[in-house]
Amino acid sequence: MSQIREPAFDRVVALVLRVGAFGCFFIMLAGLLVGFFVPGRIPQNIERAGVLLMLATPAVRVLVAGVLFLREKDWKFGAISFGVLAILLLSAIFGIGEH
Amino acid sequence: MLSALLVLLGFFAGLLGALTGIGGGVMLTPILALHFGIPIRQAIGTSLVAVITTSAASSSVHLQRHTTDIRLGMTLELATAFGAAVTAYLVGYFNRNLLEGLFAGFLLYSSVMILLRRGKVKDQEEPVLDGNGETVIPPYEPQRYPLGLAASLVAGGLSGLLGIGGGPIKVPVMFIFMNVPLMVATATSNFMIGVTAAASAIVYYRRGDILVEIAAPLAVGVFVGSLLGARLAPRIRTKYVVYLLVAIMLYLAGHLFVHLLTGGRA
Repeated sequence: MSQIREPAFDRVVALVLRVGAFGCFFIMLAGLLVGFFVPGRIPQNIERAGVLLMLATPAVRVLVAGVLFLREKDWKFGAISFGVLAILLLSAIFGIGEH
Repeated sequence: MLSALLVLLGFFAGLLGALTGIGGGVMLTPILALHFGIPIRQAIGTSLVAVITTSAASSSVHLQRHTTDIRLGMTLELATAFGAAVTAYLVGYFNRNLLEGLFAGFLLYSSVMILLRRGKVKDQEEPVLDGNGETVIPPYEPQRYPLGLAASLVAGGLSGLLGIGGGPIKVPVMFIFMNVPLMVATATSNFMIGVTAAASAIVYYRRGDILVEIAAPLAVGVFVGSLLGARLAPRIRTKYVVYLLVAIMLYLAGHLFVHLLTGGRA
């Protein structure tokens, strides 16, 4: 059942991860370079955008895989994917803890 | 200046991580805590960003070789993400000494385990290629899901607690108990690390435990270092690199213990 078969599926998920990783890399690098010339909040906000995009990339990967499963009418693994996504969203909502 | 130093640190951690298969995050957290004066909880949160970056970059390569079992990974992620989010939340109530002690213990344990295996970290199978140069994976059917989920819960819990990937737990469980080929187990574990680390990193971020101005230069360095390491790995005798990493880990464990005993003055 869970042998590896669909090459297109793998390619799409790989693309999401690669865009996320390279995108974050260039955004953070831009933040660093800007920081050498302009001190203060601007470079820090660019870096923050990179970090937030990195935190969101795995969630986007789960969402994309879930949608691909549903399109294949693979309800079981579609549901599992959205379960993982729900855990990620819940950790964002309740993840406050002690400041 | 500090940024340049952090890029360099991330570069070496990423390089060593990719050459040895031991996550570079293991090194980053104690170095940030001991040499950059960052409280250990924020050091853990900050290095989680580097862990996600590495996982995203390396698992995109594994996916293109079609050695990742997305279904198996997604199923076990239910447990790793849950475990990671829960311990990441609990860490907010831990004091610094407890975390430093746990981390030092973990470093010591990992070093001893690697030395006992004589520096052999990955039991890498030679990939079998078919006529088109595609990797051939023997047919298999994952078994004992309850056991796999339980082990994933523990791996996820450790990940949220210490900011590590948990590969040393997941890979053997998938390979030995779930009947998954080693190559697939390794790729799938790597694939899961991003989501697991993100589940805890979100909690750390919300609590203010990810220092953006530290995480960004670190992640930039780790990204370049791990890409270079992945290219060099087949051409270098990685055994000596593993011993170098073990030496660093033992030094960091010792330093953490001293740091604990002297109340943070050393």
